[in-house]
Amino acid sequence: MNTLKLYLRSMGILLKCQMQYPLSFMLQTLAQLIMEGGEMLAVILLVDRFDHLNQWNAGDLYFFFGLMSVTFYLTECFGRGITGNFPYMVRTGQLDLLLTHPRGILTQVMCSAVDPRRISCIAVGTVSLVLGSRMAEVRWSPQNILLFAESVFCGFWLVLGLFLIEAVLCIHSVKSVEIANALTYGGRSACQYPVDVFPRPLRMLFTVIAPFALVMHVPASVILGKPVFGWPAWAAWISPLSGFAVFGFMVFLFSRSMRFYRSAGS
Amino acid sequence: MSYIQVRDLCKRFYVRKKRSSESFLREKETIQALADVSFDIDRGELIGYIGPNGAGKSTTVKILSGIMTPDSGEVRVGSQIPWKDRKSYVKHIGVVFGQRMQLWWDVPILDSYSLLKDIYRIPEDAYRKRLSELSEALNLGDLLRTPLRQMSLGQRMRSELCGSLLHRPEILFLDEPTIGLDAVSKLALRDFLKWENQEHRTTILLTTHDMEDIAALCSRVMVLGHGRKLYDGQLQDLLRRYDRRRTVEIRYDRSGCIPVLPASVTMQREGDGFRLAYQPETLPTAELLALLQQAGSIREMTVQPQNIDYLIAEMYREMGL
Amino acid sequence: MKAYLSVFRMRFRLETHYRGAALGGIACQVFFGLILVALYRALYAGKPQSMPLSHVTTYVWLQQAFFRMLLASDADLMDKIRSGGIAYDLCRPLHLYGFYYVRIMAQKLMGSLLRAGPMLLFAALLPEGWGIALPASVPALILSLAALTLGLCCICAMENLTMAFTMRTLDQRGIQAMMNLLMMILSGNVLPLTLYPDSWQRIITLLPYAQMLDAPIRLYTGETAVPQAPAILLLQAGWTLLLVGAGCLFWQRNQRRLIIQGG
Repeated sequence: MNTLKLYLRSMGILLKCQMQYPLSFMLQTLAQLIMEGGEMLAVILLVDRFDHLNQWNAGDLYFFFGLMSVTFYLTECFGRGITGNFPYMVRTGQLDLLLTHPRGILTQVMCSAVDPRRISCIAVGTVSLVLGSRMAEVRWSPQNILLFAESVFCGFWLVLGLFLIEAVLCIHSVKSVEIANALTYGGRSACQYPVDVFPRPLRMLFTVIAPFALVMHVPASVILGKPVFGWPAWAAWISPLSGFAVFGFMVFLFSRSMRFYRSAGS
Repeated sequence: MSYIQVRDLCKRFYVRKKRSSESFLREKETIQALADVSFDIDRGELIGYIGPNGAGKSTTVKILSGIMTPDSGEVRVGSQIPWKDRKSYVKHIGVVFGQRMQLWWDVPILDSYSLLKDIYRIPEDAYRKRLSELSEALNLGDLLRTPLRQMSLGQRMRSELCGSLLHRPEILFLDEPTIGLDAVSKLALRDFLKWENQEHRTTILLTTHDMEDIAALCSRVMVLGHGRKLYDGQLQDLLRRYDRRRTVEIRYDRSGCIPVLPASVTMQREGDGFRLAYQPETLPTAELLALLQQAGSIREMTVQPQNIDYLIAEMYREMGL
Repeated sequence: MKAYLSVFRMRFRLETHYRGAALGGIACQVFFGLILVALYRALYAGKPQSMPLSHVTTYVWLQQAFFRMLLASDADLMDKIRSGGIAYDLCRPLHLYGFYYVRIMAQKLMGSLLRAGPMLLFAALLPEGWGIALPASVPALILSLAALTLGLCCICAMENLTMAFTMRTLDQRGIQAMMNLLMMILSGNVLPLTLYPDSWQRIITLLPYAQMLDAPIRLYTGETAVPQAPAILLLQAGWTLLLVGAGCLFWQRNQRRLIIQGG
């Protein structure tokens, strides 16, 4: 529990830091709003032109988009230390300082940054979710609410785990870290649509390697009342746990890699 | 058994050489950062660690502070090995890198300290006591409510020191702490380090390029070059070895007087007087004095040892660095 | 003139030096392309449109291939503006606008040329209905190349103007981010402009953002017929001239202000 307290206190201090520059914060939050608004606009325009995507109609598509956007940007907001700052910390040797503290590295990296600007992206996602669940006439029973929460929560760890790939590459001083973006940002772009619209190789990729489908699409489709893959409803309670599996595996790789860490500078 | 034991420490780095525009191959170059370095440090010592850039000083500090794992060799600090069980080890050490800040930039440093309190799991009353002790010794006072960003470099360094000593480390590693500081800040910092060393028997390992720091603080120095330990002992002994020349500044009553001296003495005019350098071993001071007096009546004269930086440069040159 | 050429040469060397990073970028871009094509294929399977699918896939691949052209990426220059280091450039015996224009162009051209080649080759090798289609005709190809050149000129003028503008604002990162996003949305990177509602398209295609990649791509696919080409090229040239003019004026003002304020 002490770790959680440390994280919360760090968040407090970081927010205090950010609020020192209110204008900059507001402008950047606005920019984020335009970005995510643009992404949502694209979905709306596609729905306007094509009506539906396979078995999914407008409401379903907004729901999937909202789920992805809320989950992804919650991670970017609270896991900023891993999703954004880690390469910088390695390059500048800031990581050395963390290593001299008696706490886990990942804990400290998580505590080192927060990105409250993402609040606007999360807001767009929420609007899309509300719109989608209205149009698809989702019944928000306690069960559905719990399933939804599980999906978002596990999604958080999944996305964090995928961003750890970049961190591991960084430790081994690999230059072309953009490869890792294919799974993170690529995964977000692809899996804001339900996975069954993609051909088999992509579907496998997003089910087995970066299991966005298991974490988000299976429970979401159950909530929408149209289960994908023809799986039974109880499967939706288990499949999101794969997010933890990915995160756990990446944490293992990360801690193995830290042994090879060679600090920067003289 | 001494407190810190280092035996045959080795560390190699591989760097990718920049490719020439024609060649498509990358060449790997090996740099021996540390080669069989051994030393012992006792509890409560204050040791200076010097050497030219790239000698392996920072690598040693990084290994001793648990950031880096050596290729081979043994290190024991107290009863622990730094790179094994990092978390329990680093509770007992404090590190200050002169060019990296661990405190937050935009909030009052008191906030940063209370977060460090949580990180190190310091009990509340111990933290209070230590903070008031340190803030008095470092003269932080009103600064505690000031963000780092509004501080001068000297104030920042003092705040950093306070931050890394809050958990009462047994050893303090300082990597060029006085870099860029003005004279007043430097003196204050030195006084504080002496105080901390004597008051709490904190072992301090100081790497620096500032020889004045070493001269003022450390009785023992280690010299490192090309990854090897070249000297380990008293600073005075080291200086005496290279300190063969003396500088004389002299002014005569009349400006026309020019002393006639042997070729082993270098002489240059400075203002209305002269600056001479000689070696007492080849030309005894009494003889030099006689020669100087022959030229006219001396108004004033000073004899000084050589500048310490000059000595070190001489030493590096002789050691082939 | 010589100074400008050496800017190009330096940039080229830099780009080839970082080919490892470029390969990673290409792989990532290809992946994004595949995802988008798969998505549009699924959408078309449900409800075919008047515009053939091959136009859309071609649009996607060309957008991905020349992505680097859109991206405002001169981080060095932005840093210089932020830190005030730009004052040094004022001391150089160069036309400030021209110097930055060439700098931006070198970066965009060299960056995208090195990436576009392998990516278009990959897209051409993909099976029917997935990859890039051949141009509508030989004149269409030639005209689209001309339009691409004009589009590049237009983009550079736009970015230069943004740069001049951000120098005036209090928070450069915020403004810069917003300009970039407008670019992504209105140039057809997020969603091909051809898939916007027809009534929107009539307006969006007139904006400068559409001149950059959308106009050349439409000429390539034959969406814009050859007889209409002169009007398009004229529109592109018009925007370019306008943006260059505004940029020149802005930089001149900035320069004067910098000199008066002493940096």
